[in-house]
Amino acid sequence: MKSQLFNMSVKASRLNQQHVRAALAIGTLILFVLGAGAPMTGNH
Amino acid sequence: MAVIIGLLVGAVRARIGKRPFLIPDLHAIWLVLVAFIPQWAAFYLPLTRRAVTTEWAATALISSQAILLLFAWFNRRHRAFWVLGLGLILNLTVIVLNGGLMPISRETLTKLKLDAPITDWQMGSRVGGSKDILLSPAQTRLEWLSDRFVLPGWFPYKAAFSLGDLLIALGAIWLLWESGGLKMNKKPNQITS
Repeated sequence: MKSQLFNMSVKASRLNQQHVRAALAIGTLILFVLGAGAPMTGNH
Repeated sequence: MAVIIGLLVGAVRARIGKRPFLIPDLHAIWLVLVAFIPQWAAFYLPLTRRAVTTEWAATALISSQAILLLFAWFNRRHRAFWVLGLGLILNLTVIVLNGGLMPISRETLTKLKLDAPITDWQMGSRVGGSKDILLSPAQTRLEWLSDRFVLPGWFPYKAAFSLGDLLIALGAIWLLWESGGLKMNKKPNQITS
């Protein structure tokens, strides 16, 4: 039972880590596109 | 919008191929955060974007994009970054050659139907709090790289963009499309289990 719980918590923390890394990568890409691009939008 | 499209196509590709959606590992992410701060102050933060001088805005834009170019170089092993980098180089070139801001013509601005009348914008001045400077095609160096393309009229969102912007959008979509086709042994960031 203890080992099952331990395995579940390891898997959960791994999944969370992966989600955080993925979110960071996507956020980085968004900032890159916003920074590298220079489009003019119709609300200035 | 390019990132949203990229996420959609990448996710669809992963689903069709019965693979997890795996975003490639990116190097030196901190460079993007550092690069974006001056642009955020000069072009996005309502408190400062209209208060900064044109010279400051130009300096912020050029230095910021130079750092982003470094980031693209550090991640050149991903093929999509060659397209992203090329788009950035095209934008940076036309920006540097035209006083540090992206040139846009009166004719293109008219198509955007801005809130302020076109006559409010003086030739050679920055357009509101944007990254653009109003120049005639004759005054613009490398005019074909400027913000000269406009989204179709039926599109709900109005924007003028450059060839560089187009390449940047394509590069972002390509990077995320590739994320739908990666295998586990390439050290990706898995977002679906």
